[in-house]
Amino acid sequence: MATPIIMPKFGQMTEESAIVEWRKKEGDKVAKGDILFTVETDKSVMEVESFEEGTLLKIAVPPGVNVPVQSTVGFLGNPGEAIPQVTAPAAAAKSAVVGPLPSAGVPVPAAEAPSPAPREVTRPTTAPASVTSAATSAPSVFRISPRARALAKRMVIDPSSIKGSGPSGRIVENDIVAHLKARGYDKLRITPAAKELAAKQSIDLLGITPSDGGRIAVADVERAIAERPKTMSKMRQVIAQRLQQSVVTSPHFYVTVEVDMTDLVRFRSQLKEQGAPYTITDFIAEAVVLALKEFPDVNSTTDGRTVRWHSRVHLGLAVSLEQGLVVPAIRDADQLSLAELNQRAKELADKARSGKLTPDEMTGSTFTISNMGMLDVEDFTAIINPGESAILAVSSTRKKPVVRDDKVVVRQIMKITLSSDHRIIDGAMAARFVNAIRAKLEDVELWKRLAG
Amino acid sequence: MRTGTQAEACDYKGKIMESFDIVVIGAGPGGYPAAIRAAQLGASVAIVEREQFGGTCLNWGCIPTKALIATADLYQHIRHAEALGITVKGASLDYAVMIGHKNQVVEKMRGGVKQLLTANGVKQFVGTASFKDRNTIEIAPVAQASLPVPGKSATGTAACATNQQIGAKKVIVATGSTSAVPGFLPKHPRIVESRGFLDLDKLPESLLVLGGGYIGCELACMAAQCGVKVTIVELLEDILLLLDPDVRREVRGHMEQQLGIRVLTGKALEKIAADDKGVRGQCGDETLKAQLLLVSVGRKPVTDGLKLENAGLKTSERGFIEADEYGRTKVATIYAIGDVTGKTQLAHYATAQAIVAASNACGRELQKHDTLVPGVIFTSPEVALVGITEQDAKKQGRTIKTGKFRFGGLGRAMAVNETVGFVKWIADEATDQLLGAAAVGPHATELIAEATAAIRSESTAAELGNTIHAHPTFSEVWMEAAHALHGDAIHAPPKKRK
Repeated sequence: MATPIIMPKFGQMTEESAIVEWRKKEGDKVAKGDILFTVETDKSVMEVESFEEGTLLKIAVPPGVNVPVQSTVGFLGNPGEAIPQVTAPAAAAKSAVVGPLPSAGVPVPAAEAPSPAPREVTRPTTAPASVTSAATSAPSVFRISPRARALAKRMVIDPSSIKGSGPSGRIVENDIVAHLKARGYDKLRITPAAKELAAKQSIDLLGITPSDGGRIAVADVERAIAERPKTMSKMRQVIAQRLQQSVVTSPHFYVTVEVDMTDLVRFRSQLKEQGAPYTITDFIAEAVVLALKEFPDVNSTTDGRTVRWHSRVHLGLAVSLEQGLVVPAIRDADQLSLAELNQRAKELADKARSGKLTPDEMTGSTFTISNMGMLDVEDFTAIINPGESAILAVSSTRKKPVVRDDKVVVRQIMKITLSSDHRIIDGAMAARFVNAIRAKLEDVELWKRLAG
Repeated sequence: MRTGTQAEACDYKGKIMESFDIVVIGAGPGGYPAAIRAAQLGASVAIVEREQFGGTCLNWGCIPTKALIATADLYQHIRHAEALGITVKGASLDYAVMIGHKNQVVEKMRGGVKQLLTANGVKQFVGTASFKDRNTIEIAPVAQASLPVPGKSATGTAACATNQQIGAKKVIVATGSTSAVPGFLPKHPRIVESRGFLDLDKLPESLLVLGGGYIGCELACMAAQCGVKVTIVELLEDILLLLDPDVRREVRGHMEQQLGIRVLTGKALEKIAADDKGVRGQCGDETLKAQLLLVSVGRKPVTDGLKLENAGLKTSERGFIEADEYGRTKVATIYAIGDVTGKTQLAHYATAQAIVAASNACGRELQKHDTLVPGVIFTSPEVALVGITEQDAKKQGRTIKTGKFRFGGLGRAMAVNETVGFVKWIADEATDQLLGAAAVGPHATELIAEATAAIRSESTAAELGNTIHAHPTFSEVWMEAAHALHGDAIHAPPKKRK
């Protein structure tokens, strides 16, 4: 009996996932521990290993289709074994298609869309956030006669924007002819290869402006292909949605202070020579944790009516990746020593960069630090991670002339900017909070105690 | 007054005497068209040449080799015309006459270039040009020996005994390239590069060719057709490596079997020595001997004596003057075209670059030069190619399809008994766009023009196949090959289904 391959559940919050890529083909031998496929969850791409040995008999769910966790995505067994009938997982029928979507307005026959099982087309779609126009996601409202469709295809134009003159707004051949005439199609000149390419890629010829004012050439069509809207990665979409939500619901304001890092930088170099692993980020994290203990309101969240204080500090550290941004959280940061904090921060950053973070490690932070110190910036502001009340933006440390005892001296200066949710934090509190962080960072005696 | 007479020009020593809108350095197939186009656009133009007008192409390259190859080819045809009913007894070749014909052609064309320059009001200087600064060119006299024959120089040519300077608003550098001769080769009259080879007054009985590029192969074929025993030694794994393997096989097979050329590849020629009796070199275990060694291992840019540094210009690591597709160098007033820019080293490409650069230098609307450059090789059989090769497609990871048709399937080719070779189309798998073409066989170098026009206009194989080609002509081969690409050639048996 063939063994079903199950879509694993990554983290508490995940309800459905999409396979990014099958690493094995049907008929491939699979050893225990081989990577079967990769999965895109809300936050990352994970590799899924095989728990069994055998032959991949069937791929039931192609890449790019969202399915509920715990559902069957394929079968493993001995060659020739019977494969049970796969019933379509309910969520997959919601036409939740990820991956490249057809360009806006180009109708795609339902049969062309990837689908693990017969789709319930009649079911009202819970439209996924996408660039898909009404014409694509709901073919029922786009009416076009076969002759009109054929003419549009032959002319390599997109009929979806044309207003139909037939019954119920159905587009008929004459509408296409009129559209071509109105848009000056007969003046269009196009190289044979460019036309072939446009047809293959469903690019509307009427939307292309030739670069040299003459004929539409292959390069012009290639440009149109490159400019076509592409679906963002799941990670990007999540970032977009969450940051949008944050900006809309939390009224942000910003307070910046300059921190004199000269002493701490010197102390850290001494430590480094002695082999201690601390980074400047560790000191900043520790200073924040200490300050949060003094300012419980900053380690709280609000829904606009109630305030919830978090007794523990789960410190989020924004890590930039090639594809986007993740915020792994150091849980119970207030319970950790500086050495433990250093260790944990390093672990999480490494995991983040190699895409090995578990979803649970990416949720639950109560305050976040975004450090762009290594990116050579003077100053910047960050957007609050949803579910938190403030975020600290840390900029680069630079040598600057500053006034000390009425004299101009050169010191290592770092700007930090706190973004606060004004619903819960007022200006005075934010100012006291950032100044508390500054005071700690500038107090080298404190660090000698903590790091010693 | 701009145009002083020759006598006046020499009076002002070391001072800027004349100033031009455009000064072109080098009068080869890049330089002289640039000068003429700039003059056509209304600029005052000077051109400086240190050797012969017409450059390598006209004097020691394209033209003279074709004169010799044509004669050698005709000789070959005459000797092998029995099948067509012509028997010529005692046919013989007088190489001195061949060379005489070549020299006559070259001289006539050289005169033509000068006439054209003069007719367009381009002032011609003979001497070695160097940059004094960005806008000043110094011209030093060249040794008398290499000056044009006295009394034969066309009017308007200024040659003088001392250095002179001219001013230039814009400079176009077109100094070309020269044969690269590796330093390990002994200097001896029996060791020549292509230029020296073309001035031989008689052919050797045996010839060793070092380097199986197109120059080496062309001259090897020519010599073999004239009865010379030829051996080619190429260090790389095959000769004419820029061609696809199937095309290479066709040429090499013909060269070896029909012309009796010995081709040794993947081997170095070492311990080269020359004396009065001949040259010899070690190739693997074998000692190769011949009366003459032709070195054709590539060409290197000519920038010596230009003093580019005075203009703030540097050559690239490999010695080229880098220019963009508008012909512009890193210095705003200086343009560079042709072989010295290190792109495709072909005369017609230099000319295309020249015309665009001249127009850009004259302040016309910026134009880019084309980059679709056909290449022609006058071996026996001839070879030509344009666009991408199958090897290129593979490297670029493109999915392509190919269509081939052999000349043997053409009525015309059969009728004139020239049935060697084939043509090949390379098209995009998805869109049917013609991306490249290769031809090997009769008139390949002429036939490539149609393929070039088709590719440049972004034609598809279907379009080309539907174009009516006159019957019976060699050109039908393209139409048939385009059909073959879709598996529906009329004059070829269907491919066996798997």
